[in-house]
Amino acid sequence: VTKRLAWILGAGARLLPPGRRQWAEAVGAEAGEVAAGWPRLCWLAGGLWLVFREANVVRKFVYWLGVGAVAAAAAWVVWLTWRTYPAADPLAVTDRVRVGVGAAALVVLPWVGRRRGWFGPVGRSITARLVRVAGCVAVCGTGLAVVRMDSPLFSGPHGPGPFSLSREIAALVVLGVTLAALAVARARWADADPSLLWAVVGLAGAVILVVVPVQALAVVYVAGILAATSRRSPVANASLAAGAIAGLAAGLAATLAFDAAGGDDSYAILLLFGMITMLFLLAAVAGAAAAWRLSGTGDPEELRAARALQGLLAGAVAGAVCGLLVTNFVILAGMVLMVIGPLAGLGGGVVGGAIVADHPPEARPDRSWAAGLFVLRS
Amino acid sequence: VEEGSRFSAQTLSVLAALCAEPRAWRHGYGIAKDTGLKSGSLYPILIRLADRGLVEARWEEEQPAGRPRRHLYRLTSDGLAAATAALTAVPAAPAGMARSRRAAVPRRLAGEGS
Repeated sequence: VTKRLAWILGAGARLLPPGRRQWAEAVGAEAGEVAAGWPRLCWLAGGLWLVFREANVVRKFVYWLGVGAVAAAAAWVVWLTWRTYPAADPLAVTDRVRVGVGAAALVVLPWVGRRRGWFGPVGRSITARLVRVAGCVAVCGTGLAVVRMDSPLFSGPHGPGPFSLSREIAALVVLGVTLAALAVARARWADADPSLLWAVVGLAGAVILVVVPVQALAVVYVAGILAATSRRSPVANASLAAGAIAGLAAGLAATLAFDAAGGDDSYAILLLFGMITMLFLLAAVAGAAAAWRLSGTGDPEELRAARALQGLLAGAVAGAVCGLLVTNFVILAGMVLMVIGPLAGLGGGVVGGAIVADHPPEARPDRSWAAGLFVLRS
Repeated sequence: VEEGSRFSAQTLSVLAALCAEPRAWRHGYGIAKDTGLKSGSLYPILIRLADRGLVEARWEEEQPAGRPRRHLYRLTSDGLAAATAALTAVPAAPAGMARSRRAAVPRRLAGEGS
């Protein structure tokens, strides 16, 4: 048994990143010194436990389980667009394209970001993994909501309208021209003002949003989720968590309020205004919390800027989460919130971050438990 | 290491074992025998200490006869300072820990700590 365990330990060590591999090999190298029998068995078992921990086996397994759930949900929604429409329904193509674009974004963008880049790989924290998986599942949920709303087999009073190839082509042309213009601008004018480039991107995005709103929102949200949860993301874990919690709270409250209104359109604008106000306030709280979590870096100006940025990002996350959640249940109001929500959240986050930005960093315990190593800094 | 850092009882026992001969290179099984820790506890602690720059590690340079090369460890200068400070403050450090964990700190810590 010990020989087999030693072999498994040697093989398991190869699963570890290069910086960690030597530690598992060290356990194997020492095994010969340990008394044969039960003590050596325990020693090698400890080595296997080391490999298990350092390879983050549980975390990776759960994450890939989540990725599998996203893939299954996307495939299910795509199948539904074929299943729930009569074959002869001329309007069916519209939703098949809408859902197909969202599903394609879920497949293509992670593939694009499989190497280091804006979209991936996923951050190491549990928060980033959870937000990425839950966010992608929620995007699939919006596809389901689209199918349910438009399908004649459900109650769907809102027809998707006939498929417009010209709109799809127009959106693709705008996208292509924008990407080409950006590539040319980066190649020829390396010192071009970034704000000008972002303005071009914003303008093109607005045009695409008007032409093909559902597809544009699906792609932008998938890209946003991947970017916010990637290893290179500027969104700190605390900001991601604070924004997600605030967004879930706002989204839940909004969903319940819209549900209670029971489709009474006379109060729709008032209700939407109330929801946006609530989102703004919750985003401000999230922004303040995210900013407060940042400790001092030594430079007050640097700290103030970093806090303001994290407040802004936490607010934007809150708005996006709220919009995405509401769309799963109240699609029309939700899609409005998917556009306005991040802007309202961003505004709230800026206010919350600004309130805390000038607050002096407080000395507070920074604790960590890691493999029996407990560090408490004060 | 910032002032006021505290370590778990198990980590303190590892630091104490390394502090006994600060300039000597120790191997994992020797530290395990001194501290009573199992390999599954000892090595993660050594990894975290190395990550924080408190412990340095290397492989034996020459291949010894009849056994594999060993992985060796010793405290860095930062590690020695941190360990000395932590071991000196042993009565205060484990304040937030469970009684059983506190009891796990070898009695000889106080004597070997500096």
